Amino acid sequence: MNKNMCNISENVEENTEEAEMANRIFRVESDEELRPLSDVENPVLWMNENADLDDDLSFPNISNFFHRVDSSQILYETKKRRLKMIGKYVMGDLLGEGSYGKVKEMLDSENLCRRAVKILKRRKLRRIPNGEQNVESLQGMLESTSEKKFPLLQAHGYFTQLIDGLEYLHSKRIIHKDIKPGNLLLTLEGDLKISDLGVAETIDLFAKDDTCVQGQGSPAFQPPEIANGVESFPGFKVDVWSSGVTLYNITTGKYPFEGDNIYRLFESIGKGEFAVPSEIEEPLRSLLLGMLEKDPYSRFSLQQIRQHAWFMRKPPKTSKEVPIPPLQGDSLHRMTVLPYLEEHYYDFTNMEDDCSTHYITEKELNDQKKESAEHNNGKALVRQNSKRKWKKISCLTMRSFPGCKQS
Amino acid sequence: MPLFGKSQKSPTDVVKALKEAVNSLEKGDKKAEKAQEDVSKNLVLIKNMLYGTSDTEPQTDIIVAQLAQELYNSNLLLLLIQNLNRIDFEGKKDVAQVFNNILRRQIGTRSPTVEYICTKPEILFTLMTGYEHQEIALNCGTMLRECARYEALAKIMLYSDDFYNFFRYVEVSTFDIASDAFSTFKELLTRHKILCADFLETNYEKVFDHYQSLLNSENYVTRRQSLKLLGELLLDRHNFTVMTRYISNPDNLKLMMNMLKERSRNIQFEAFHVFKVFVANPNKPKPILDILLRNQERLVDFLMKFHTDRAEDEQFNDEKAYLIRQIQELRPAGGH
Repeated sequence: MNKNMCNISENVEENTEEAEMANRIFRVESDEELRPLSDVENPVLWMNENADLDDDLSFPNISNFFHRVDSSQILYETKKRRLKMIGKYVMGDLLGEGSYGKVKEMLDSENLCRRAVKILKRRKLRRIPNGEQNVESLQGMLESTSEKKFPLLQAHGYFTQLIDGLEYLHSKRIIHKDIKPGNLLLTLEGDLKISDLGVAETIDLFAKDDTCVQGQGSPAFQPPEIANGVESFPGFKVDVWSSGVTLYNITTGKYPFEGDNIYRLFESIGKGEFAVPSEIEEPLRSLLLGMLEKDPYSRFSLQQIRQHAWFMRKPPKTSKEVPIPPLQGDSLHRMTVLPYLEEHYYDFTNMEDDCSTHYITEKELNDQKKESAEHNNGKALVRQNSKRKWKKISCLTMRSFPGCKQS
Repeated sequence: MPLFGKSQKSPTDVVKALKEAVNSLEKGDKKAEKAQEDVSKNLVLIKNMLYGTSDTEPQTDIIVAQLAQELYNSNLLLLLIQNLNRIDFEGKKDVAQVFNNILRRQIGTRSPTVEYICTKPEILFTLMTGYEHQEIALNCGTMLRECARYEALAKIMLYSDDFYNFFRYVEVSTFDIASDAFSTFKELLTRHKILCADFLETNYEKVFDHYQSLLNSENYVTRRQSLKLLGELLLDRHNFTVMTRYISNPDNLKLMMNMLKERSRNIQFEAFHVFKVFVANPNKPKPILDILLRNQERLVDFLMKFHTDRAEDEQFNDEKAYLIRQIQELRPAGGH
């Protein structure tokens, strides 16, 4: 059985290295507060303290799992990685936080794809987002640069992908309504993913046009018709405007409209007057002016953007591309779920009364196994038994958390 | 220029040599074998100018521009495509690679090759007839799809009479050719949203007349693929006008209701996604309403038992429940 576990884990490791970094955002609703990892009661430690618990595995003492341990009795470790699952997702580290909730890296246990999962708190669902701080998005990359902007060639690459994506959304009758750098995610291959359809609206299959009445995206990216509180407006042009602000932002490092507070900001947007910095040359200038046209009906359509000279021509390479910033100091963006899995399947530290938690690589693990097998056959057998007990119990404890399945 | 070894042939020389070789290959005289060799050799030379090799970089922009200009002036692209079946296996692939590279070339916002092909649409039509020749069909397919990426070229193809040959090509007995033709067909009908919507609107009768034959095809794959594409086309917001027109024709509804009962579950499922639009339509024309009313009870029973094992597909179940409710609540239009 233990061998099986090892094999599974090996596969996990192999596959995830190849797994595509898919930045799709899934929404997982969770009532459960996310507790910091360090003060979660540690069932592994607890079981080991009761070393003489009998071997009757078919009747684990259920009350044990709900037993509260006084804080004085818990052994704290520097950082205990405890495997946790939400639905089919194995949790990794925190990637970022927004006003809605947290985003964590996760591994889809069914297809082994890397995911970023947004965990929403129910009571926050009613709130309208404001100045979100985001994950691995264009926003993050912009902030990693000194000028807060991209070289034109790079901006062009992202912008053309954004327009492709918007065209697709619009063909599915979806108005995104919250296009901004913070909601545009990037894969490590440089593919853009439009995320966060939290305030998106679907227009009815039989609606004659794309009229909508509600606007609720991020203020700085809202068009004049929303800032002015117009009763109804053409929805698809909202996304064109926000994409215009996005393009303005990633090419100049500035915002076309600003204000000390939301009222001033909306006042400024409502007038629709803005300046394009002098360093922005034609044809980008006229594209920005066309997309940030105050009147939604004369504002560019996606088709007009596609046919615009700046869109059709790749700008020459001027300066070095802004790289994707490292994830928690790791420029390779290695998956943060792995250490949890390793810990879950390979953790020996407690068996050996070793209180210091450290990573065990597979090689170390294999070496350890070999060593113990060679030097002490009898003892190795005992250890295997005790590990089996530990294994089962650890799986059972998973059940006490809502939505957790036995892996 | 390399310091040692043979100095590079100029684009003019290579194009000229290749043209002569293709011409003599076309005549099929006794020097055919030699011509074949020359064609392959010169194609490789051109390919290396564009792509480079493991040892050499691609040629400079000036050389490539010269090469492109020579290709336009000599009309060699058309000649190569017309004689594609005479060129050897590797050569065919080289032609496709050279063609696609030259096609993608840009000067500023202009695509000179696209402009050139617009003046020589025979190139496109010759490529399209390539689907009739097994040995070159797939090579022509890759070139066609590259062309279809450009709106101007897609427009020429869509609005040509030759486009309707695709309804035949997607059904040919060789599976890989039929599939390739279908993906080109789909690309032409979906790539440029506004162009496609305009095309479908202006040529509604003719296109859907032909499309009917795909939906009634003997070939399972054709039936399934075309039904799926139909659903995608109708549900694309850009094709709103086309959709409203399609769902007011009772014959289309009858066809979908029959497809709901097909033996294949996949076809049933795809048909559901078209059928639902007829039912959800808030302004059903009388003939449509009549058909639904006549089958009201049977439809409700049928849908209740329809694909009940798709429990995990929430959207499908919501839609199905919605349809059942809609059909149950159907009442004859008052006074008519």
